[in-house]
Amino acid sequence: MADIDTKIEIPEELKSTVSLSNLDFLVEKLTKVVDNLVDPVANWARSNSVWPLTFGTSCCAIEMMSVGMSAFDISRFGSEVFRATPRQADMIITAGTITRKMAPALITLYEQLPEPKYVIAMGACTITGGMFNDSYSVVQGVDRIIPVDVYLPGCPPRPEGILDALLKLQQKIRTESYGERRQRKYAQTAVRHVDYDTGLPVETLQALVEEAREEMPPAASNEQKSA
Amino acid sequence: MATENLPETAPQLPSFVRSTQYAEDAQLKTDEMIINMGPQHPATHGVLRLLLTLDGEIVRHTEPVVGHLHRAQEWQAQNRTWYQYQALIDRVDYLSGMFTSWALARTCEELDGLKIPKRAEYLRVIMSEMNRITSHLLWLGTYLIDLGAMFGFPFYPFRDREKLLDLLEAVSGQRMMFNYIRIGGVQSNPPLGWFDKLKEFVDTFPSCIDDYEAIVTENPIFLKRTKGVGVMSKELAMSYGVTGPCLRASGVPFDLRKDRPYSVYPEIDFKVISLTGQGDDTWARYICRVAELRESNEIIRQCIEKIPGGTTEELRKKREECKACGKADCANCGGDLAIMVKKQNSGIRIKAGEGFVPVESPRGVLGTYITSNGTDKAARIAWRNPSFSNLSVLPELLVGAPIADIMSVFGSIDVILPDVDR
Amino acid sequence: MTEQPEAAKSAELPQEIPLGPYGQFLKDLGIGSTRLPDSVGTAGKVETIEIDGMDLHQAMKSVRGSETRMDFLLMVSGVETNDTWDSVYHLWSYEDSTKELVVKVRVPKASVAEGKLPAVPSITPFWPAANWHEREEYDLLGIKYFGHPYLRRLMNPWDWEGHPLRKDYKQPVDALNDKNPHSMR
Repeated sequence: MADIDTKIEIPEELKSTVSLSNLDFLVEKLTKVVDNLVDPVANWARSNSVWPLTFGTSCCAIEMMSVGMSAFDISRFGSEVFRATPRQADMIITAGTITRKMAPALITLYEQLPEPKYVIAMGACTITGGMFNDSYSVVQGVDRIIPVDVYLPGCPPRPEGILDALLKLQQKIRTESYGERRQRKYAQTAVRHVDYDTGLPVETLQALVEEAREEMPPAASNEQKSA
Repeated sequence: MATENLPETAPQLPSFVRSTQYAEDAQLKTDEMIINMGPQHPATHGVLRLLLTLDGEIVRHTEPVVGHLHRAQEWQAQNRTWYQYQALIDRVDYLSGMFTSWALARTCEELDGLKIPKRAEYLRVIMSEMNRITSHLLWLGTYLIDLGAMFGFPFYPFRDREKLLDLLEAVSGQRMMFNYIRIGGVQSNPPLGWFDKLKEFVDTFPSCIDDYEAIVTENPIFLKRTKGVGVMSKELAMSYGVTGPCLRASGVPFDLRKDRPYSVYPEIDFKVISLTGQGDDTWARYICRVAELRESNEIIRQCIEKIPGGTTEELRKKREECKACGKADCANCGGDLAIMVKKQNSGIRIKAGEGFVPVESPRGVLGTYITSNGTDKAARIAWRNPSFSNLSVLPELLVGAPIADIMSVFGSIDVILPDVDR
Repeated sequence: MTEQPEAAKSAELPQEIPLGPYGQFLKDLGIGSTRLPDSVGTAGKVETIEIDGMDLHQAMKSVRGSETRMDFLLMVSGVETNDTWDSVYHLWSYEDSTKELVVKVRVPKASVAEGKLPAVPSITPFWPAANWHEREEYDLLGIKYFGHPYLRRLMNPWDWEGHPLRKDYKQPVDALNDKNPHSMR
């Protein structure tokens, strides 16, 4: 094996439990080689079968339904079915205004999507809040809460617009690399401003966790046990 | 074995089946559980959350949680001028954008005392009835999706809907948010050749409805799913303020177009579809809506014949004679043949006063209660949405129904969530 | 008599409008009402009366049940004027298409204590059509309908603070909608 470009760093507290063998380095190296061969094929396969989630809030949902119907058939571009459960879907097309009441549900859905996942922000309401831009209850753009891959303007965008956005997303998928995905470089998380289980803002929750951590006894007993 | 203890009147079940009768005889306690039918579900009606209290599979209590699409449109009305607000209200009930625009325009015109030219009224009626057809077709497609016929049937109504949307796009520029009906008239005349295409559609549409009826109406699965399900008695509907096809299917022939006629509806000959004694259930509501498709088709056909000025080609010929002088009493381009009583500018004002003059949308009585103080912004616009009142009946209809009936009943009420949440 | 035209010009003095048919009907039952300027309805002018909150139940029941049979409650809406909180009821009749009535209950702002909400009796116990309308007005305008079986917020989340359609409402500006400081908040 030649020089290893990527050295995996082990944190201090885990050094006694984790040991890397040569096998891991071999896999890392092979991935680089395999990347160049597999990436084009895998990305082509993935991009041509992006299955969206049925997520339609308001008016844009009608155009999304129309794009699924026979006049503007989306299944010829690979979106054969719209899955009802996020566990089986690849992408969310956020079709419709997201309000503050709906935001936790959308975040939950986004987090339930398995990797690799994509988001198309459809319509003016989800890009910047749209025509409800000073409304007290509308989230001004869905990219304040989930990461977006393609922005699709329109109110509502024509079904051909949705197809255009899908094609752009397919181009984006084809530029990805398997190695980088393995290093979780594409992983993004939903942004939580409020922890919806307790109702507290996230800063407050973090402060509470910090306080609790200070009050806990130090973790010196763990090293004695494992040694 | 369990079957030996059953009373004689019960059917003889095979020995491997445990009947609920046994459970009741043995006095087993069953718990009720609260299940959330969340804001995102594949029944594409928008975001409605139902908290169901279930006893096994029977629904004991429903609490609908609405407001997931509350976009503050009444607040917007207080902060936008009249001119600006007209563009924003198509989204209140996006499937019947013409009707929401008409609801606002009608109340404003009655407050202001404007008289709309006849041609504008006829164009309003034509576009609105086309919108009613598109709304009912979409309802039909999504209702069958709710019931499970996911990938076969809904393509047909959507295909015919596309034909109408092409026509509506040609006249207003948008497939769904038309912004066509304004205070004082209509936005524009249809382009050349538009009336011929509409006439073609109107001639072929009844056979399309026959196709849908052939697939759906006598279908045994459909009958099993919809007959006897969601029975809404006349008194229940009237005490909840239900309007639209839901009310007419329960035996009350209340249609605003015939009851308190407005616009040019008195000159058009059409029937009010109302069913009595057909069970007041979801099947009756389905029949109501499909029959309304035929009536709307008839209305459009009559309007095309009666519209003053005729088709766009004929109107243009007339205007050439007077060079579009624009005088109010001109026989060729003024009076009844105009489409706007006075050109709007951005500072349009409505006289001070209050008014509530609704229209009949595909879902029921849709109107705005406007409090105006004479400035360029409204003081208060309160929307009366049919889906809001119709949805409040849902908890009553679902008591004692199995889970499978929930979507059947909810789909048949034909609720549009932004209509509920505004 | 010569002072009356001047009095009519000033906006302060309300003119006594003679009672219409519905006002007379309620007066015969012992319910006092004030007649306000007519509002606009489907057939032109519609009688608009204002009654006291304490009479609301009896007025609604009698108007619904007896020979007037106004059994169609279209909407309950709330309006905030400069000095009152209004709860407006639109009534139609299913059978008779010429009957329309608008009933208002006005709570003067001066009579509402600081930190309290204007109170109007709820007609939900006997008229289910008003259920969600009253919840919505409680949510958006803060008019408290006492007697309502379930007066919780309908549109906004259950823990929302403030009543958004009030004139003195300030929107919460946080990470979800903090752009455009010049917008019409």
